[in-house]
Amino acid sequence: MDFTWTEENDAFRARVRDFLDRELPTNWDEIARHGPGSREQTEFSLEFCPKLAEAGLLVPHWPAEWGGADRPTWEHFIMGEEMWAVGEPRGGQYMNVNWIGPVLMRYGSDAQKAQYLPEMAAGRAIWCQGFSEPGAGSDLASLRTKAIRDGDDYVINGQKIWTSYAGMADTCFLLARTGGADQGRSAIAIFLVPMDTPGIEVRAIPSLIGHGDIHEVFFTDVRVPASCRLGEEGEGWTIISYALANERVGIPRYEMSSQVLDLMVGELKARGAFGNAIVRAKAAEAAAACEAARLLVYRVVDERARGVPPGTAANLARVAVVEADHAVTDFGMDFLPDCFSGDGHAGMLAHHERAIVTGIAAGAAEIQLNLVARRHLDLPKGA
Amino acid sequence: MHLAFNEDQATFVTVLAQMLGDEAETGFHTVADWGRFDYGTALDARLEEAGFYDAAAEPDLGTVAAAAMVHEVAQVPVTVECAASALLRPFLGDDVPRPLAVVDDEAPGAIRFLPQAGALLSITDGAVRLARLDGQAREVDSLFAYPMGEMARDKLDWQTLDVDPATIRTLWQIALAAELSGVLAGGLSSVLAHVRERTQFGQALGSFQGVQHRLATDAVWLEGARLLMLKAASSRAPQDASLALAHVQNHATRIGYDLHQFMGAMGLTLEHPLHRWTYRARALRAEMGGAPMAFLDYAEARWRAA
Ligand SMILES: Cc1cc2nc3c(=O)[nH]c(=O)nc-3n(C[C@H](O)[C@H](O)[C@H](O)COP(=O)(O)OP(=O)(O)OC[C@H]3O[C@@H](n4cnc5c(N)ncnc54)[C@H](O)[C@@H]3O)c2cc1C
Repeated sequence: MDFTWTEENDAFRARVRDFLDRELPTNWDEIARHGPGSREQTEFSLEFCPKLAEAGLLVPHWPAEWGGADRPTWEHFIMGEEMWAVGEPRGGQYMNVNWIGPVLMRYGSDAQKAQYLPEMAAGRAIWCQGFSEPGAGSDLASLRTKAIRDGDDYVINGQKIWTSYAGMADTCFLLARTGGADQGRSAIAIFLVPMDTPGIEVRAIPSLIGHGDIHEVFFTDVRVPASCRLGEEGEGWTIISYALANERVGIPRYEMSSQVLDLMVGELKARGAFGNAIVRAKAAEAAAACEAARLLVYRVVDERARGVPPGTAANLARVAVVEADHAVTDFGMDFLPDCFSGDGHAGMLAHHERAIVTGIAAGAAEIQLNLVARRHLDLPKGA
Repeated sequence: MHLAFNEDQATFVTVLAQMLGDEAETGFHTVADWGRFDYGTALDARLEEAGFYDAAAEPDLGTVAAAAMVHEVAQVPVTVECAASALLRPFLGDDVPRPLAVVDDEAPGAIRFLPQAGALLSITDGAVRLARLDGQAREVDSLFAYPMGEMARDKLDWQTLDVDPATIRTLWQIALAAELSGVLAGGLSSVLAHVRERTQFGQALGSFQGVQHRLATDAVWLEGARLLMLKAASSRAPQDASLALAHVQNHATRIGYDLHQFMGAMGLTLEHPLHRWTYRARALRAEMGGAPMAFLDYAEARWRAA
């Protein structure tokens, strides 16, 4: 058992940090203050990701064939930690490198791969994920958006909601139903839909995490060629399961939480308020939540690196990550409430906006608890 | 970063698991006169004979194997003095007798394992001292599922050991974290078995979501605690050790409550082993000042003075 990084890992991390030091502008905190899906961050990502790509740091874990360097799992993960720690300057493009690209490599047609992968690897592609609907949140398989075959085309009608990045996305990774609702998961297919197709309307939803982050997307008689379908009809659920397995632990959120906690402690020290034993113990309690989450996540990555088939470790990790994010933002609000008003404190505000969605975005924490109970603790299904 | 046991450690825990699976030695048996603990004399002797308590000093096993052992041994209903023997004794010099009772910072009152102990170890900031015992301890009744004893400590023949008190204190934090996460894991397994079997309202208790989510949350805390404890055992860094202990002590109260709730009235009897875990946990969660003190240790190590 070894909980330390190799020299190679350290060197890679140092390279990423150097790059960030060099490339993040002095007003980056202000940009990051806007939610991760905001226009400000998305525009920034279109400048930043091509530079990352040029430095060989955007898709190093991808196969060389698609512009990567076949680098190991842990490096990809270190990259994620360093990016998230500063507020994810890749914006929505993190999805491309983490799971959309790998899914296309596995299930895409040659034409789809050729069309999309080089743009992603170059850092120029913005995607959105069209899964959730007004009637289908946690119960995603109940989605109702329809894609009806019409000759060589499909005609899509329906509505998606909470769609991040939709305001600026070029392409939507869309889940739609090609058969009746009674066919459940087996009638779900995936479409790669250009967002400028006639009949698509995007409306931003005002939200607590900033403007332009989440959207409603309406599809009215949207006609796309059948070549936009990813995989076969009915294969959608299998592909999604693969995609989510690839995503597994998602975003290394504890890293930003842990660094923001240091920032909060620094601020409290500067005010002479960190001598109080209760404040110190509460800070340590939040740190414990972060470090427990970190190790639970590392276990998932470690299993993947060792080729162990996915088990329940990711479900445990996701719950712990939610606790960590909330512990830190609650600590800040309890002891530094003034940092969340007026000009406030950009780093804490940026963290707050990201932390409050953990546990809902990318699936509710309670769904993870269901999975822990059933798969990890082997508890019986309800009557 | 490699979070699996090495080959020697894996063999060590496999053989240990086989020994712990011997129901006759490690299983639950009620004890005469409404006894609240059952000292695992046979198990203890077997572990000692087979050299398990010496693992920490073996280069290929080390404190990680020793801490894993404490965690596993804590999960059986019988109680043996394992934590101090596995994680402290190998670093105290030759000829330290066991079982080993430990008192931290001269805490008053009864001490766990004192009635069985061959020696009492005192850890303070300034010194680590050892007193050999020869039946002087007086066994006292206790709510805790440990043998507890008292004695006039100032009358003992104390010998100051040539070891660094801070190092021993760190090891003791790791040992306590390992034992506490182990007893809670033992209690959780026992409650899981119960809620899978017991039906009410026509369905297994464990199928109710109100039960599932609480036990699942407990499992998340415990798995996090186990990993923090193993990391601390691996690094032996004071910051890691205090965090591991703080985290598990912090959650122990809530987990203990859940375990008793889902066992219903049965869990309040001495005919069911649940108390063997939860009442060890109650003692352990207060050791070294409990979670608040461990959190303060961590804050000091990570952020230094105000
Ligand atoms: C910031 C943000 C960004 C998002 N981005 C996207 C995106 O880009 N694309 C996309 O498709 N979606 C996106 N989502 C949507 C997200 O995936 C859903 O919000 C999530 O799956 C939960 O669905 P819901 O909000 O409809 O909640 P519901 O399903 O209505 O559930 C509400 C609550 O009920 C509880 N609950 C539900 N089911 C159960 C159950 N079986 N057992 C116990 N408790 C239960 C949970 O506490 C849950 O939080 C985003 C959400 C947020 C907040």
